[in-house]
Amino acid sequence: MEWIILLIKIIVVFNLAQGLASICVWVERKGSALIQDRIGANRAGAYFYTDNILLKPVFAVVRLLGILGIVNTLFCDAVKGLFKEDFVPKGTSNFIHSLGPFMAVFPVFLAYALIPVAPDFEIGGYKIRPQVANLDVGVLFIFAMASIAVYGVTIAGWCGNNKFSLLGGLRSAAQMISYELALGVSLVSMVILYGTLDLYDMVVKQTVLIGGFLPAWGIFTQPLAFVIFFVAGMAETKRAPFDLPESESELVAGYFTEYSGMKFLLFWLGEFAEIALLSALVVLMFFGGWDIPYVTLPGDWIGALIGHIVFVSKVVFFCILQIVVRWTLPRFRYDQLMHLGWKILLPASLLNLLITAVLKLAL
Amino acid sequence: MEEIIWYIIAGLTLASALGVLIMKKPLYSAFCLVLHLFMIAALFALLDAHFLATAQIIVYAGAIMVLVVFVIMLLSLDGAEKKPSYFLGGLSLVAIFALFKMLLPALRDTFSVSGTNLQGDVKSIGLLLYTKYIYSFEVASILIMVAIVGAVILAKRTKKNVTT
Repeated sequence: MEWIILLIKIIVVFNLAQGLASICVWVERKGSALIQDRIGANRAGAYFYTDNILLKPVFAVVRLLGILGIVNTLFCDAVKGLFKEDFVPKGTSNFIHSLGPFMAVFPVFLAYALIPVAPDFEIGGYKIRPQVANLDVGVLFIFAMASIAVYGVTIAGWCGNNKFSLLGGLRSAAQMISYELALGVSLVSMVILYGTLDLYDMVVKQTVLIGGFLPAWGIFTQPLAFVIFFVAGMAETKRAPFDLPESESELVAGYFTEYSGMKFLLFWLGEFAEIALLSALVVLMFFGGWDIPYVTLPGDWIGALIGHIVFVSKVVFFCILQIVVRWTLPRFRYDQLMHLGWKILLPASLLNLLITAVLKLAL
Repeated sequence: MEEIIWYIIAGLTLASALGVLIMKKPLYSAFCLVLHLFMIAALFALLDAHFLATAQIIVYAGAIMVLVVFVIMLLSLDGAEKKPSYFLGGLSLVAIFALFKMLLPALRDTFSVSGTNLQGDVKSIGLLLYTKYIYSFEVASILIMVAIVGAVILAKRTKKNVTT
């Protein structure tokens, strides 16, 4: 029975990760069109007609999805990726060439094992915590996986066997090391504040009210840490304004220039899974997870379901926010990027850590 | 079940350590070392020492090895192939046997301890670090501080030489 529960948890969380990544892909394609005053993908599937009475409702649904661009972005692009030629450049082996996209996707999905997706609930006498692995290192494990994700990009950059890819790989390695510091230090101040490394306990600590009216969400108790964490996290996902590793106007496509077909799509999947992971972390640490202020959720499966819906809505909100930022701001210059990381975010996070530690001791 | 996983991980640990030595390209050697450190973290995790495993990944696989790979890529050593040195190889073989002979009694002790009540969680390690081993902890942090100051001085000096 324990194994079955674990299997169900793995399926739910893995599908959540995949689903969030897919929603992000669709919002990226269609939302970017809205932002740039275009129409965007709306053709594939939009002309599905049939005379068969039984199949008419199905085709109507497909037509609607086609007009919304979902068929194009989630189905046609994937099929196209599967059937494209998988080109391996001269001078590298197929094994190490495949290792790049693998290392870009695998750590991100592994990190989802530590994300609690709903409050505890009891069903049929079993007390279930909707979290795949309950390690006592908690959020540190996610941080370790984030530090492993650098290899995917560096291997990919090296495998391209050309200067543009190599430059992209080098830039991304430098960028990720630089912003990991600010990310880690702002994380430490949250750990000090909550007194735990476990993400579930962090959410529980946020469900109380300060002074009877203000929810004890991390955004209200640690606003500076939120700004640092969110900005550094966005730099870790390597998207505009931090997309120097793949800046298409100077480096063709940076580290994945030489990738095509499904391997290229895997980089995309990893990127969007990373966006959703960052959103989930922000929601769990700064926005109370599944907590609705002034409302206590029931302890059964209905409460867990409501909590899950609330959690996922918050995560989707932050995914959309990141995509809007990506299509609004221009790219940084390289020295500006390093200046922001080392001279603004890192000292600010250290100052925040000091203040948090002093206040924690004093109060 | 756990024993089978142990054998797989132990085999991969040894194979990747061997790979560091026998790979022709420096970058492949570096990636083998990454795999090796990762597998050692997996061995820690099998002993329920999750904190040690995570720290191993963050510090060695995630930070130090990234710098090594970074430097290899920056110097673009992929054209350079390692030349085998039989003298150094023989010397290190002798050294390994001597070390193994010295460490054998200690190794016997560790094998008898493994699997019982190893305290590898965050709280117990934190308590040990900040009470029993506080002096060595502080000395290590001062050592790292010295390294940082040294790096800054080196960077500043080369800059001055270039301008004058």
